[in-house]
Amino acid sequence: MYGGIAMSGQDLIPAVKMGTPLPGASLEGIVPGQELALLTLNLIKPDRLRTLAFALDLRILFLLTGSVSSLPGVCGCCGALRPRYKRLVDNIFPEDPEDGLVKTNMEKLTFYALSAPEKLDRIGAYLSERLIRDVSRHRYGYVCIAMEALDQLLMACHCQSINLFVESFLKMVAKLLESEKPNLQILGTNSFVKFANIEEDTPSYHRSYDFFVSRFSEMCHSSHDDLDIRTKIRMSGIKGLQGVVRKTVNDELQANIWDPQHMDKIVPSLLFNLQHVEEAESRSPSPLQATEKEKESPTELAERCLRELLGRAAYGNIKNAIKPVLIHLDNHSLWEPKIFATCCFRIIMYSIQSCLGKSRADSWCSQARVQDSSPVALWVTERGCHLVHAAPVLMLAFSFQPQHSHLVIQQLLGHLDANSKSAATVRAGIVEVLSEAAVIAASGSVGPTVLEVFNTLLRQLRLSIDYALTGSYDCAAGVSTKIIKEHEERMFQEAVIKTIGSFASTLPTYQQSEVMVFIMNKVPLPSLQQSIEAGKAGENRNRLTQIMLLKSLLQVSVGFQCSNMLTALPSAFLDRLLSAALMEDAEIRLFVLEILISFIDRHGNRQKFSTISTISDISVLKLKVDKCSRQDTVFMKKHGQQLYRHIYLICKEESNVQAHYEALYSMLMLISIELANEEVVVDLIRLVLAVQEIAQINEDNLTAYNRCALFALGAAYLNLISQLTTVPTFCQHIHEVIQMRQKEAPYLLPEDVFVERPRLSKSLDRLGPEVFFWQSKISEVLGGSGYNSDRLSTPYIPQLTDEDRLSKRKSIGETISLQVEVESRNSPEREQRAPAEEITYETLKKAIVDSVAVEEQERERRRQVVEKFQKAPFEEIAAHCGARATLLQSKLNQIFEITIRPPPSPSGTITAAYGQPQNHSIPVYEMKFPDLCVY
Amino acid sequence: MSMEDYDFLFKIVLIGNAGVGKTCLVRRFTQGLFPPGQGATIGVDFMIKTVEINGEKVKLQIWDTAGQERFRSITQSYYRSANALILTYDITCEESFRCLPEWLREIEQYASNKVITVLVGNKIDLADKREVSQQRAAEFSEAQDMYYLETSAKESDNVEKLFLDLACRLIREARQNTLVNNVSSPLPGEGKSISYLTCCNFN
Repeated sequence: MYGGIAMSGQDLIPAVKMGTPLPGASLEGIVPGQELALLTLNLIKPDRLRTLAFALDLRILFLLTGSVSSLPGVCGCCGALRPRYKRLVDNIFPEDPEDGLVKTNMEKLTFYALSAPEKLDRIGAYLSERLIRDVSRHRYGYVCIAMEALDQLLMACHCQSINLFVESFLKMVAKLLESEKPNLQILGTNSFVKFANIEEDTPSYHRSYDFFVSRFSEMCHSSHDDLDIRTKIRMSGIKGLQGVVRKTVNDELQANIWDPQHMDKIVPSLLFNLQHVEEAESRSPSPLQATEKEKESPTELAERCLRELLGRAAYGNIKNAIKPVLIHLDNHSLWEPKIFATCCFRIIMYSIQSCLGKSRADSWCSQARVQDSSPVALWVTERGCHLVHAAPVLMLAFSFQPQHSHLVIQQLLGHLDANSKSAATVRAGIVEVLSEAAVIAASGSVGPTVLEVFNTLLRQLRLSIDYALTGSYDCAAGVSTKIIKEHEERMFQEAVIKTIGSFASTLPTYQQSEVMVFIMNKVPLPSLQQSIEAGKAGENRNRLTQIMLLKSLLQVSVGFQCSNMLTALPSAFLDRLLSAALMEDAEIRLFVLEILISFIDRHGNRQKFSTISTISDISVLKLKVDKCSRQDTVFMKKHGQQLYRHIYLICKEESNVQAHYEALYSMLMLISIELANEEVVVDLIRLVLAVQEIAQINEDNLTAYNRCALFALGAAYLNLISQLTTVPTFCQHIHEVIQMRQKEAPYLLPEDVFVERPRLSKSLDRLGPEVFFWQSKISEVLGGSGYNSDRLSTPYIPQLTDEDRLSKRKSIGETISLQVEVESRNSPEREQRAPAEEITYETLKKAIVDSVAVEEQERERRRQVVEKFQKAPFEEIAAHCGARATLLQSKLNQIFEITIRPPPSPSGTITAAYGQPQNHSIPVYEMKFPDLCVY
Repeated sequence: MSMEDYDFLFKIVLIGNAGVGKTCLVRRFTQGLFPPGQGATIGVDFMIKTVEINGEKVKLQIWDTAGQERFRSITQSYYRSANALILTYDITCEESFRCLPEWLREIEQYASNKVITVLVGNKIDLADKREVSQQRAAEFSEAQDMYYLETSAKESDNVEKLFLDLACRLIREARQNTLVNNVSSPLPGEGKSISYLTCCNFN
């Protein structure tokens, strides 16, 4: 009956609204007598009431029905006349708020609400009305009771009906949150969190969480004087934010929680709490309490919330979520100690990965369940069990993961670029974080734009070099506000290089080699372009850039595992790398050697050759050796001569120090065990003997140290290779010579040379023949064991420049061949060691046009003319003519350039050409890999 | 059926350099006290005060932001939803005045274009240390088309006036908006503007 009346009351509302306002209408103006008179109205049938309502002033009627209930104490006698829902609500409040919620009455209310869900909105409205009044009257006991009731109602109601109820509920929570009282704030938050955990299935149109986001974020920053209360408020704030996220993230009608306006509040608030670890820890006295505290610390909570937030981020939202992180780290200068920044991004990377997989699995799972009911796999995640329909679904879910992590990486890279002019420490921090993130994201870190990632890093590297050199962030202005600390830039550069390494290690092999080619192409080599950047500063910059890039390359190559040298080291790459090896700079040379070593060393043998020595038993090294594969053989066929030549030339450098000799030794040994077949071994022995000759004859006026080092290097190498070949007579010969040296000239052995203070002898030119290794002897002993003794007995003579370069320049050579006829004839012999012989223009021309034909012809001719070369191997002969041909070639090119540029005096250019034949790098390489490929 | 305990709701955000007295202004207004050793605000602070203007209940949601640079990003996110901004400087600190253009740029960038900005020179109780003359500030505010006021949170000078005047202006603005829009858009004062039923509430 009462219900019916209440309904009619509802019907009346529009009518009330239409009515004209009654001036001064308020309850105070109504005397109890009138009230009672009107109360009888409640007993009249609804239809009668309506007509009556028009007759009377409707508002008074409504005011009464609405207000009597709000005076439970006063109008106790007329309780029966108020709508039932109001009575039920009133009844849950005890006389004394201390007594708490009246349980039995609460059950009645719940039952009523469940049986008449259409009343829910009015129950809610009434409850919230009461609550708002209680708050303003500071009757906090009742406030708590009202909230408790509200919570219970929320929990008890079905999702469909909640919608009616939510508006008033949120109003109540907002009211509590507006309060200054921490208890009320916390109370409100707790209710909100409970509400947030209810999954609604109907979308809600008119809800705004703006205030909640703002207020919860503010609570996260609470600075309440009492530390405990502050912690509680902050935790509440975090929980509240978590609630908002949960509530809105899946609701498509909601204002997008991922909008920057929300994210810019939520994320910094979480981070702010995350970064105050030490504060929370310092105040826990006992270990037992510490664990308790930890469980309840805002830090912990913030981390969980952040993980959840990111875990829910879809592809398009990640950016909005990450940006505030970057800005927060900037503003709070948290890049520099970088512990926090790294920790943040660790959380980010892991949560983005794990949860995306999870949500995928969820959706796949639901689809699978719909389709049929075949076996179901149980997948336990950190948040609970997901029933996943068979394994393939799982696999699919995981395969989607990495796609997103590269977004984070990209954003970090973008941030690094944006911070180009920040302090080196900041940049270093960002780069460190990048490196860490790359490791976590593993294969997914780089994304589709592989080279862009490396391009950015390399660009930063170059910028940093510039900063360090010019001492300012702005080269043009020259005046900088900040002082650049060189050592900080150095640290930054190291960090970049490390990061390049970690990125590269996540890539598959083919991309790794792509990246290496890319880096190599960025290395400024002495070339035509160099003339633009003349002067000391330019040189210095070039050198630093070279070193840094080679370092990066080394970093990449360390993680590079290739089975096939041929594909791993394209000849263009190898050419560039090796041409860097011939630069005068000792440091650069060493880098090139190290890079080569790390390429060649595929079985981790490298460390075993880190010190040069003549050990008598090779087995102590425990070498891991695989049989040389076919591809490796091809590789050595193709590039072997090139490698030997460079080793030979590097040996001749006076600026070598111990590290160089060690690297050379490692290199020789690694080639011998990784890439060698019989032929290669023979060549290597020849090479080493030629190196011995360098020291012996000493045309280049090497120091005593250099010479001794070369002798020692040869001894050490031959010692090991003899044991590797396991030819007893060979071993014996080597052993004899070494023993002889030990007796007569210990300064020719590594044990004496490669120490801190080597004892050197100046009488290197007066050594007896017995301390040297002899080619004839070696070829004799090895020839007996099936090695090619003919080849062995031929001394190694290197080509002076790359034959591949020659072939690449062929076309240019052809076009200008006629013009340089005179020039080439006049060119003096440079190859001193080669016997004087006639080389006609015809042969030279052929050498340019077709080196194979030339080789053939040359060989033929040599056989007839010089007995010594009768059985010379192919390469040797090629070396001879190649040298000449290149010499010619360089001159041709010089002239070619001159003809294009304003011609200076011809004689001048020729001498210049002699001076630096290495200056001719080929632009073809650069063209092969234009920067366009980056994008 | 409205249960709102207010007729208008406005969001006011205080901004300005660190240490100019934003928190003290808010405290003085909302709680009537002047906390002597007020520390720097962390992030944002929130206060609410309901005032009655011409018989209408106006609820002021006051967001007091940290002046420190490191919290700039989170404070900026609060500008957007503000109905009014109180840009505060310290009359005894030239620097805080010189930063005003920078703050205006921030407002331009992050706040809504309808926002009402008030320029407030605080700490007039320290008159002997004054570095920014009233005239200069007045000229500046005029050029920027801002309402200008000098206050003292310590002596409670002009604090009430500041907020009440602001509330009046906001109400005016809100009324105008509803007229212009011809709909009862709850845009500036989210509360349902005028409702007969609010008088249901006893409080």
